[in-house]
Amino acid sequence: MKKATRLLALLLSLAMTAGLMAGCATPSASKDGEKASNEVENTAVTFTDMTGREITLDAPADRIVALTASDCEILYALGAGDKLVGRGEYCDYPAEVFEVPSVQSGYETNIEQIIELKPDVLVMATMAQTVEQVEQLENAGIKVVVSDAQNIEGVYTAINMLGTLTGKTAEATTIVDSMKKTFDEVSAKADEESAGSIYFEVSPLQYGLWTAGKGTFMDEIANMLGLKNAFADVEGWAEISEEQVIERAPDYILTITMYFGEGPTPEEEILSRKGWENIPAVKNQKILNLQNNELSRPAPRLADAARMLYDLIHGTAAEEDKAA
Amino acid sequence: MEKAELLSVQNLSVALSGKHILQDVSFTLNEGDWLMLIGPNGAGKSTLINAVSQAIPYSGNIRILGKDSKQMKSRSLARAIGVLNQNHYVGYGFTVEEVIRLGLYSHREGFFSLRAPSKSAENSAFGKAKYTSFDPDQAVFDAAGKTGLTELLSHSILTLSGGELQRTFLAQLFVQDPQILILDEPANHLDLIYQQQIFSLVKEWQSRPDRAVLSVVHDLSLAKKYGSRALLLRNGQTAALGTVSEVMSPELLESVYSMDVYAWMQDLYGRWSR
Amino acid sequence: MKNKNTATHGFGPKEYLLCAAATLAVFLLCVCLGSVNLPLADTLAAFRDILTGTVPEETTLAYRILQPVRLPRILCASLSGAALSLCGACMQGLLKNPLADGSTLGVSAGASLGAICSIAFGFSVPGLLFSGTMVSAVIAAFISLAIILSFAYRLDASLSTNTIILIGIVYSMLVSAMSNLVITFAGDRVKTITFWNMGSLQGTSYPNAAALAICLLVCGGILLLTAEELNAFSIGEENARSIGVNVRAVRLRVLICVSILIGVCVSIGGSISFVGLITPHLVRPLTGPNHKRLLPASLFGGAIFLLLADLCARTILAPRELPIGVVTSIVGSILFVHIFYTGRKQR
Repeated sequence: MKKATRLLALLLSLAMTAGLMAGCATPSASKDGEKASNEVENTAVTFTDMTGREITLDAPADRIVALTASDCEILYALGAGDKLVGRGEYCDYPAEVFEVPSVQSGYETNIEQIIELKPDVLVMATMAQTVEQVEQLENAGIKVVVSDAQNIEGVYTAINMLGTLTGKTAEATTIVDSMKKTFDEVSAKADEESAGSIYFEVSPLQYGLWTAGKGTFMDEIANMLGLKNAFADVEGWAEISEEQVIERAPDYILTITMYFGEGPTPEEEILSRKGWENIPAVKNQKILNLQNNELSRPAPRLADAARMLYDLIHGTAAEEDKAA
Repeated sequence: MEKAELLSVQNLSVALSGKHILQDVSFTLNEGDWLMLIGPNGAGKSTLINAVSQAIPYSGNIRILGKDSKQMKSRSLARAIGVLNQNHYVGYGFTVEEVIRLGLYSHREGFFSLRAPSKSAENSAFGKAKYTSFDPDQAVFDAAGKTGLTELLSHSILTLSGGELQRTFLAQLFVQDPQILILDEPANHLDLIYQQQIFSLVKEWQSRPDRAVLSVVHDLSLAKKYGSRALLLRNGQTAALGTVSEVMSPELLESVYSMDVYAWMQDLYGRWSR
Repeated sequence: MKNKNTATHGFGPKEYLLCAAATLAVFLLCVCLGSVNLPLADTLAAFRDILTGTVPEETTLAYRILQPVRLPRILCASLSGAALSLCGACMQGLLKNPLADGSTLGVSAGASLGAICSIAFGFSVPGLLFSGTMVSAVIAAFISLAIILSFAYRLDASLSTNTIILIGIVYSMLVSAMSNLVITFAGDRVKTITFWNMGSLQGTSYPNAAALAICLLVCGGILLLTAEELNAFSIGEENARSIGVNVRAVRLRVLICVSILIGVCVSIGGSISFVGLITPHLVRPLTGPNHKRLLPASLFGGAIFLLLADLCARTILAPRELPIGVVTSIVGSILFVHIFYTGRKQR
């Protein structure tokens, strides 16, 4: 029974994310960026959050609670980390974030904890917040801002929005430009040759293989690099059969399994799997382990992840070529 | 001739959560006895039976066939004592035959040996010589025949009437063939005809050598008709122990039950000799 | 339905052969079908080669999938199915309650907690991938049992059915809450635990199958030899005592075997619910309640049930996998309602 509920929750959240992607209109978001920068002078800030709600603040926010890890990362990247007075319990990057008091997030979001921190603004994702909860927060004088990027374009929107929110529009533009530049670089070779196929491993064999299919950041970045996602026919995150991986024989494997310092590393574990010997990625040892959620969070570090993946495919030598 | 002593209970006490339910009850059960346990509700009759059949913890000394009952293994205990309970809440649709056949359980030892070691070996002290060549199938068939269940052998116990069910468990006991039969109000919920059936079957079983019956009855007329001796309990203590006529004197009964039992019985049955 | 003559007899060689043949047929079907469609000829050839131990120089895809992936998984599915069903049948008999199962007693939940702790705190025995989880699952199942039993003894010395089931349910709730607590505090490792908890036979290996087979041989063997005592228990505990069953010893023996089997199954396949509950109900109309027939039939029936459920989990959404617990719960609950409905109508 419990399993059924879990699956239902999983399916539901997948459905929700799909719906959001459709609902999140990117053009309007970039327009907001301009509008917001005009209004910075008279200190009032107006922008549209990522569910399309118009939000006006008297001044750039000074006390912020951010519930999602990606928003925390963006705020720190913007140099607005000092404005963070509360963070979601799963926020873990950069290390300074641990000094900020943590609040329960996700399904157990604790409204009282948040109100106690007296923030001007609460930044959160759409999932798991009910209308009643948002009302409660607004009644307590806290502006609720939804940041919910579902693709790289959405990440740019989120960065710009949080830049406006904190009065750091220039920093936001710098970050977005830098990300765009990196993505341009790593996708440069994509047009020339087909780089092969890649299999993303979200959960290791021991607990059932989970992969990232179409509509995920990993898939988007793979395409950017000219890679074919071996499980492009699967929507979102999904459990897939081990047999399928062997049959599809990917050229590269990227695993985001965490390594806790005991037993074989994720790479070693994959190399030692029985029946995987003939998969090109295993044969050629083209396995990359990204352990720090670079590739699963809508945050600036996506660019770092893309760079590392690029290095796996073309070797670090390729970088030197380009520099020359 | 001295009758063999099958069961001896010395200073039996039972306490449940600090409350004394039985205190210092002593009696013996000899070959050929049918000891009736009587007394009002809450006197400790069922507790006494549970203690004797080793179902609950107790203090005191119970010797069964001369052995300390606490040292006895479950199977040898079952070859000495069998219990017929008043209610059977059956859940699964076992057949009558399957239930009766379970009476053979104590005749086997351990996992693998299928045939009983001859019962006479253990009980030779009492000169008991039942089935010289023990045939389990025959035993089951005989018991079913005695209790009138031959026709019902393949029926599910879920379809039986209360009387048929009680006879099924009685047949199981006959197959088990202990030396002491313990009955806990065996006919309590049964029609008169079934009461009579059960009691006459037990009477017939008991009339053979080396056997004794210990039973709880509510109906004093049944106690009077079938019992040879009686133990009257009051608040967990022995009020009287002796032959049925000694114990069931009008004065004793009146003092324990606080009513004129005889007058009431006369009302009920019309004639009840003093 | 009721077979009058065989009703009192155990499983004969003929019945064993029949059930084994049916299980083998389903097993072969599961060998041939899978997430990846393999040519039948290749598959059978590879299967034959694996059985005879002749590994060809040039292996086909069928061989590379069958030998390391599909075969160990099917073996584990059939063995866990058999073990869980046997446990369910035994619990239902022992507690004289058709709704009893390792899960209602709290043994499964306890084993899960043990396995989760071992994953969360990284307790493992080097060399064997699963040994850490397995050992702690079995230990936790034991501990659960000890807690439940000692609590039940204290409340009710006769260990009546209702007390045990009630304590089992309360204990399950408590332990599930503790599992969630561990998951909450496990932080980084939380993702893997959540996936694992949904139950999956993916990634099972030959050593897993061997561990299951050994436990099933020992504990399952003991349980099969306890059939008559279980008959007595399922007629009534008082009756069991009266006919000479050592009530406490038998109960302890059954519960220990059950907790070992469930612990091992949980550590290998996660929590796969409903198998132990449903299989005995499926076979009882054919065998009757006599455990001498019910237990072996549940053994084979459970193997077949979980093989088919795993087949569905592997193939229905290919290339995706369904958590097997979801398949067993859905199929199980539908069958359960059906059985109860038809059962009521017949009465």
